[in-house]
Amino acid sequence: MNRYRRYLAGLAVALSLMAGQVAAQNMLMVRTSEKFETTMAILQQTLAEYGYAVAHVQRCDGGMADFGYKSDFYRVVFFAKVDEVRRLSAKYPELVPYLPLKILLFAEKDETVLVALNPLELARRYPTRELQVQFKRWHSDIDAILQEVRKAHPPAPSG
Amino acid sequence: MLRLAVILFVVTIGIPLTPAWAAPDGKALYDAYCSTCHQSHGRGGIGLPLSESTLANVSDDYLRKTIRVGRPGRIMPAFEELSDAQLAAIVTYIRSWYEVPGQQFDTAPIIADAAHGKVVYEAHCAKCHGNDGSGEGPGTGVTLSRERSFMIMPAAINNPGFLAAAPDSMIRHTILTGRKGSDMPSFRGRLSDAEVDDVVAYVRSFARPLPEDTAAAEVAERPAHVVESPYDFQTTLDNVHQALVGANFRLFPDRFLEEGLVDEFSHNTRQVSIRFCNFKQLYNMLNIEPRLGVVLPCTITVLERPDGQVLLVAPDMSAIAHWFNNDELEQLGATMDQSIVNILEEATL
Repeated sequence: MNRYRRYLAGLAVALSLMAGQVAAQNMLMVRTSEKFETTMAILQQTLAEYGYAVAHVQRCDGGMADFGYKSDFYRVVFFAKVDEVRRLSAKYPELVPYLPLKILLFAEKDETVLVALNPLELARRYPTRELQVQFKRWHSDIDAILQEVRKAHPPAPSG
Repeated sequence: MLRLAVILFVVTIGIPLTPAWAAPDGKALYDAYCSTCHQSHGRGGIGLPLSESTLANVSDDYLRKTIRVGRPGRIMPAFEELSDAQLAAIVTYIRSWYEVPGQQFDTAPIIADAAHGKVVYEAHCAKCHGNDGSGEGPGTGVTLSRERSFMIMPAAINNPGFLAAAPDSMIRHTILTGRKGSDMPSFRGRLSDAEVDDVVAYVRSFARPLPEDTAAAEVAERPAHVVESPYDFQTTLDNVHQALVGANFRLFPDRFLEEGLVDEFSHNTRQVSIRFCNFKQLYNMLNIEPRLGVVLPCTITVLERPDGQVLLVAPDMSAIAHWFNNDELEQLGATMDQSIVNILEEATL
């Protein structure tokens, strides 16, 4: 039994590393047909379902408005798993600027665009096996989370 | 169990091969790769609108090549990972929105007087497209920089992606017909055939090679500054605060790195992120790149390691700016990064 588990675990890592070689876009992006507040609620719920805690939400537009600048609704959601933050910040302090992870939301009229930095971009710069697996996992999670948010309210039908 | 493992292996390995034998779904591909920027039905957003008049005046080949090579430095990425069949499916789907077929263009180069074309270009085209063909004013066609009432910005006709996708005869056609829904007028009757050809030859002279993949060079580029402080933890924090205020940054309340992830009694209090912003600079950067929030706000984190070593860590904004495929952002990113480097130096002097 353990032999098969090891085989499957090895297969998963091998596939992860293979997938990391695939050319990837620098940003992971989706659009929803829902207004900002609804999309934000769905995102936070989906993050929790994937085991991530939301650390805080940065209201960039509010700060800019204080200074007289206009912008669309513009927020950044910070999220992470605390054990990952502790382990990585201790071993790889150069990753601290990217912790917690972030997803940006901004409104375009009645729709919302969500954007995250593709963790595979970092993977290209940190070739250690441990980090390759970590970045691939983040990529997989963030991509799945964004797709779930998109599928909850996909872009309006054509026509 | 072995059988299960074999099945899992075959199924998992087989997934990426699916497009080889299944007809690609153009709508699904468009929704996945294009709609975030161009919106459903090509209404435009971060990306330019794919309007009926635009589609009626370009060829399928132009659309396929545009998706394939993108627009280097102008946000539109190159979708090198898509197969030819997938590109064709996307174009077929885009074409299904309207009943107007695309153009067929001769791919033969137009041989004309580029020197005279420069004179004509500067008289009639440079006002919008710029003397260098890079398009007018700040912005790369992105949401916040574009007036809502002016949906299409002057194209960057010097862009290597555009010049790789557009044959001379298409540029000629565009000059003669203009673009409905934008400020691009028709020059039919205003310029002679020879003058139009001369302008085409001049625009073609903007061509430069498509940038090579810089992935290998970037591998060594670590997108963070890590500086060791000669001071203790608290003094280093105070120094960073002081340096930021002296450089006219607005400070937000400091946060522990773990704040919000655990209860308030469990934070590692020797990991503090100092968050700061220059709103004018931020506003200018957002005007040319609305996705900048994925790296905001600017932070310098002060860490004390178990051995007492104190580190300052900050993102390398110059390296990060490369990831946005936005030339204008790269200039501002380099400026911003220099500010951060100065702060780090001052705090650890």
